[in-house]
Amino acid sequence: MASTTYDAVEASYVVLLKEEGGRELSKEVGLLQGRKPHMTSSMSLRTKSALSLSSRVSSSFLRNVCINLQEVFGTKLALLFPAVPLAVAAQCYGFGHAWVFTLSLLGLIPLAERLSFLTEQISFYTGPTVSGLLNATCGNAPELIIAIFALQKGCIDLVKFSLVGSILSNLLLVLGTSLFCGGVANLGQEQLYNRKQTDANMSLLLMSALSHVLLLMFRYVVNYGEHDVLTFPTLTLSRVGSLVMLTAYIAFIFFQLKTHRQFFESREVNGDDDNVEFGDEAVIGIASAFAWLIGATLVIAVLSEYIVGTIEEASESWGLSVSFISIILLPTVGNAPEHAGAVIFAVKNKLDITLGVSLGSATQISMFVVPLSVIVAWVMGIEMDLDFKTLETSSLAFSILLTAFALQDGASHYFKGLILLLAYIVIASCFFVFKTPNGNISMLIATPT
Amino acid sequence: MASTGSNSAGGLETGLIKPSSVGGGLSKEMRHGHGRTAHNMSSSSLRKKSDLSLVSKVRCGFLRNLLANLQEIFLGTKLFVLFPAVPLAIVAQSYGFGRAWVFTLSLLGLTPLAERVSFLTEQIAFYTGSTVGGLLNATCGNATELIIALFALYKGKIDVVKFSLIGSILSNLLLVLGTSLFCGGITNLRKEQSFDRKQADVNTGLLMLGALCHLLPLMFRYAVSSGEHKVSPLPTLTLSRICSIVMLVAYVAYLFFQLKTHRQLFESQVEDDDNDDVVSEDEAVIGFPNALAWLVGMTIVIAILSEYVVGTIEAASESWSLSVSFISIIVLPIVGNAAEHAGAIIFALKNKLDITLGVSLGSATQISMFVVPLSILVAWIMGIQMDLDFQLLETGALVMSILLVAFILQDGSSHYLKGFILLLAYIVIGACFFVLGGRSDLDNGVNANAILATSNAVMGQ
Repeated sequence: MASTTYDAVEASYVVLLKEEGGRELSKEVGLLQGRKPHMTSSMSLRTKSALSLSSRVSSSFLRNVCINLQEVFGTKLALLFPAVPLAVAAQCYGFGHAWVFTLSLLGLIPLAERLSFLTEQISFYTGPTVSGLLNATCGNAPELIIAIFALQKGCIDLVKFSLVGSILSNLLLVLGTSLFCGGVANLGQEQLYNRKQTDANMSLLLMSALSHVLLLMFRYVVNYGEHDVLTFPTLTLSRVGSLVMLTAYIAFIFFQLKTHRQFFESREVNGDDDNVEFGDEAVIGIASAFAWLIGATLVIAVLSEYIVGTIEEASESWGLSVSFISIILLPTVGNAPEHAGAVIFAVKNKLDITLGVSLGSATQISMFVVPLSVIVAWVMGIEMDLDFKTLETSSLAFSILLTAFALQDGASHYFKGLILLLAYIVIASCFFVFKTPNGNISMLIATPT
Repeated sequence: MASTGSNSAGGLETGLIKPSSVGGGLSKEMRHGHGRTAHNMSSSSLRKKSDLSLVSKVRCGFLRNLLANLQEIFLGTKLFVLFPAVPLAIVAQSYGFGRAWVFTLSLLGLTPLAERVSFLTEQIAFYTGSTVGGLLNATCGNATELIIALFALYKGKIDVVKFSLIGSILSNLLLVLGTSLFCGGITNLRKEQSFDRKQADVNTGLLMLGALCHLLPLMFRYAVSSGEHKVSPLPTLTLSRICSIVMLVAYVAYLFFQLKTHRQLFESQVEDDDNDDVVSEDEAVIGFPNALAWLVGMTIVIAILSEYVVGTIEAASESWSLSVSFISIIVLPIVGNAAEHAGAIIFALKNKLDITLGVSLGSATQISMFVVPLSILVAWIMGIQMDLDFQLLETGALVMSILLVAFILQDGSSHYLKGFILLLAYIVIGACFFVLGGRSDLDNGVNANAILATSNAVMGQ
């Protein structure tokens, strides 16, 4: 696999990455059509592994395997990989459930990053449209997998909590930290971004807020007796709403990949230096990329199952409520790689990428993962609706409004980031104080009203 | 009455009713005609010039004038095919046809009448000054909605009033605007679609104020019923009436702003560089007393049809097994706004988004800041206890729609995704009201009273 030429390029790259990793990466964005900010951001965590060691291995097959392995595990988060077998071991040998939970959560972090690396590798072989679609679908694969496992166990509340938490964390925590750090780091400079991209995302988010708020109000209205309804049609309404949201998401993908692509490509006309060539070629073959992708997904599925299965025990042994763990803790850890990437680009004053990551993720979860979960639940015969309780829905709606107004004018400063961060802290403390009685998740499940 | 002049212009014009010339002529019209709002502009896109050559052969001068008049009024719209619905509705009512038929026919008959009323006010605006004309347009622009609301009030169907007004605002904000932006975006995919933000800002500002006025009585009721505050008599009515007066003041200020001090914001800056068929459309087609008489006549017919609509809505809801709330929130406004809707889309296709926005936002503003508070005040005079508390679901949907639209119109440019999102939001809201009506035998008059009674009982505790 072109390992000799690659080797040379690689060596220079390692040096460069140390100094100006971010700069190179943003260039890559311009070059690669199908690559979204989401991908770019997690790339900033990647180390290029020095292949010199493995190239000394004599058997070519073995060498290829070694290179492959090294590439696949080539992330700065490699330190966390041992958590994966440990989690499996902990589960098998009956350790404390809280340990299994923690280890699985830690193990998910590098896997999430690797998954986006592999989809990106695959996109080298497919056209830009297919790869864009692939990225759009797999971008939040861990969230989707966790949601589906929780659904299978009938923990509807857990699904809702973790999805709301993921949206909140993307909108407030990731964006807030990035804008804050970016604002402090670039105090003297103008921090501009492309408003059009933001607007498209925010209007989708507002529409999803509308769907949730409508469902919530519907329940209130009927309980209060303003309207008499014989059958309680929340489920039907939720399913219709989900289909509409999916339609909107498809339109958004079409908009983003076909008709208005220019809005979503970051505008840096790379006027800086000229070491452009690397990062542009596929590092592993399409077959092995696919195999790895499936493997990684399976491991993620296993870990997700552990997480879903042990969350109650973890909540008991830590004395935290399930809602706090699933709304605040789970997404904070799950979004860690994107989070780091978003902050790094914000510090480099590339706000377009930062916004693409955080808003793109939030949009994807709220317009794709959430309705898909409702529909999957429908297929599985589970009665999941779009009615996230009052507290969750209203914090969601307020966060969306706050973000929408903060991102109005196409420029940023640290104060905006600070406000978003503080809003996240307020919401987090709200869920922290809001303790449900211990071990009642089964009770929560049983009440679909 | 200038029938020869308009004759030749009319002959010239009939050949030219290809879409492009209509649009070009109209944007020009806007510069010349005083006091003409975008609302009028849009419905005039549905107008066609009737060929007067036949009429001018009639000898007797009086008769000729009369015929010309009739032709201008009845045949001067593309919607004239719907006019037969008016006598049919009356016949259906008199001979005791199915009530659902009466409802449908009356609704269809209202569509061309609404367009004609705006035509007549425009004619009258030629004789009065620009300010009076502007005021007249501002008042009569949504005459149909106002008349229906008044009739429903008169019959004590407070819920129908509230539903139809909310529905009209929602339909203007989401459906009309959404379809227009979507179609406009698809047609002008490669062009820059920009509009004047200032006009949109003024309108959304007023709409936000209207949302606040609706939210306050609602929150008031919830706060009291959950026991946060203790109030012995429930002052929702007083609050609603004060809010209505405030809203009317805001609307008057808006008219002053629009017609006097900041007129330039509301005139579209289309530099007409297209073709030069300017001559027509700029002169009054019928005389002042005539126009006035017709206006009164039309209004009476609208009133009759409105009464039919209000009287048969429950029967129609039963026979279609749709809820009254769905019919009055979704169906009624879609039909009632059809003329404006078509106009808004036509202008969006021509990339004249200022006019589109003027129509949809202007209509929504007018209903929420003028028709709604006026209904409250009229109800007050009639001794009916109507308040601004449009229940939770309706208010919530309204507030979210206003926020969505305000946000979407922020940056002064448009693309099809924006329109599509608005449309989808309308579909979600429509679905919500569709499933809400589980019961078809909802007697609204009784229901409204029952709700009032229960809420009073809750407050009493």
